[in-house]
Amino acid sequence: MNAQLRHIVIRMFVTLLILIVLETLASSLFPMFGMSRYRIPFNVLIVLYITFKLRTPWIPVMVFLVQWFHSIFTVEGWEMGTIAGIIVAIVVSYAKDLMHFSSVAITMVLTQVFQCLWVAVIIGLLALKGAENFYLLDKFWRFIPESLILSFLSPFLFSILDKIWASSEHGMLGDNG
Amino acid sequence: MNHGQLDIVCVRKINDTESLLKLVQDSTQRLKVFLTVLVLGVSFFRFAKRDFAYRETTAFEEFMIDSFGPVQRAFSDSQSWLSDLVNHYVANVNASRLNEELVKKIAKLESEILATQETVKENQRLKELLKFGQNLTHQEVLAQIVAWDASSDFRVIRINKGAADGIKIQSPVVTANGVVGYIYRLTDHFADVLTILDPNNRVDGLVARIRAHGIIEGYTDRRALMKYVTRTEPVILDDMVLTSGLGNIYPKGLVIGHVAKIERQSYGITQHIEIRPAVDFSRLEEVIVLMSNADASKKLEWSALDAFDGGSDQ
Repeated sequence: MNAQLRHIVIRMFVTLLILIVLETLASSLFPMFGMSRYRIPFNVLIVLYITFKLRTPWIPVMVFLVQWFHSIFTVEGWEMGTIAGIIVAIVVSYAKDLMHFSSVAITMVLTQVFQCLWVAVIIGLLALKGAENFYLLDKFWRFIPESLILSFLSPFLFSILDKIWASSEHGMLGDNG
Repeated sequence: MNHGQLDIVCVRKINDTESLLKLVQDSTQRLKVFLTVLVLGVSFFRFAKRDFAYRETTAFEEFMIDSFGPVQRAFSDSQSWLSDLVNHYVANVNASRLNEELVKKIAKLESEILATQETVKENQRLKELLKFGQNLTHQEVLAQIVAWDASSDFRVIRINKGAADGIKIQSPVVTANGVVGYIYRLTDHFADVLTILDPNNRVDGLVARIRAHGIIEGYTDRRALMKYVTRTEPVILDDMVLTSGLGNIYPKGLVIGHVAKIERQSYGITQHIEIRPAVDFSRLEEVIVLMSNADASKKLEWSALDAFDGGSDQ
């Protein structure tokens, strides 16, 4: 258990460094080239990777860490993303045995499907908080292009993360917990 | 219920009991359930407590923002350097003609300033005579934008000045054209500004021509919404909207924008008014943070209101 935890800590550290670089690009470089309405939520992609590919009981804590580091670059906070990430993780845990990332197309489709679940949870939470309909609708329209870009990027980013986590079809470290 | 159905129910119960036993006996499963419940519970609790008036930062958050802020600044500086190079050296064709026009314009503006200075002096004399309100002096801090919010849900900008430069939480942020927003999150060297385009930012404003009050809220990435203006108010297109001074954040009389769209229904008590901000947010590079001496008393007022809210909740 301790050896597995040590591996997770080191790999998580590298993943967070990647997240920081991507968030810096999304928050400072892209808006300067006219991308003021849309942002690419790289945190969602990393959380999806963690829930799809890793088999460890520490997933909730890892989702929280990704969202906490994301909150440094946004006033959104870590709470909503953590709730959405954990709900996605619970759903994925039931469907994990049916999901095989055997091709680029399947990876993109699965990423898109679970991003839809993610945004549904977020919109639900915002509605609970009393957000107005026009805001939720605007969020949905922004979600379409943002999520499509993320889905197209997913095979590339997943292959990098696969190398970091040494992940295979059987999950990280072969653990089936 | 026949024997077949009874068998199926029994098998299901046995399976349920087995999975429950597995959960109790398997330490990995136990840890997984415990962590999921714990993190989800804490997240829901913090989400319920979340307030969008302002945000206090922890020491670690402050350290992280101050550490990554310079990286974001390096990106924005390199972009400014590139655009400077293009604008000042490559596209410097009409500079001489533009210079002549600007010299004439400056002469005209200088004469207007002289006339305005006289009006200001007169205004001060009259205010003193009437003992009109609290005469607040604002200190100004010029800041550069280093980054935008990483989430497209929020219209927030990060500036390169912080508490070390004297900035305080909820200080108003403006440009020469009008209101930008207020300081939402603060560290020693950086600050996040919640702009008037963000739906969480609410400004009490008034239509300058008819003095009709309303609340201005972020609507889209280019427009704000003026709410609660009664249907009978004769608002027209291009009416100027100013801050009213209510709400304890913005001083009175700052330009918010102009009326861009009005919808009046034959029913209802209010009208739908869209505001085009005076500030062009897509070209925003520098902002001015206003700091007044009344900030300390403001904080006392806020804490008194918070205490009242807490008391009434109980």
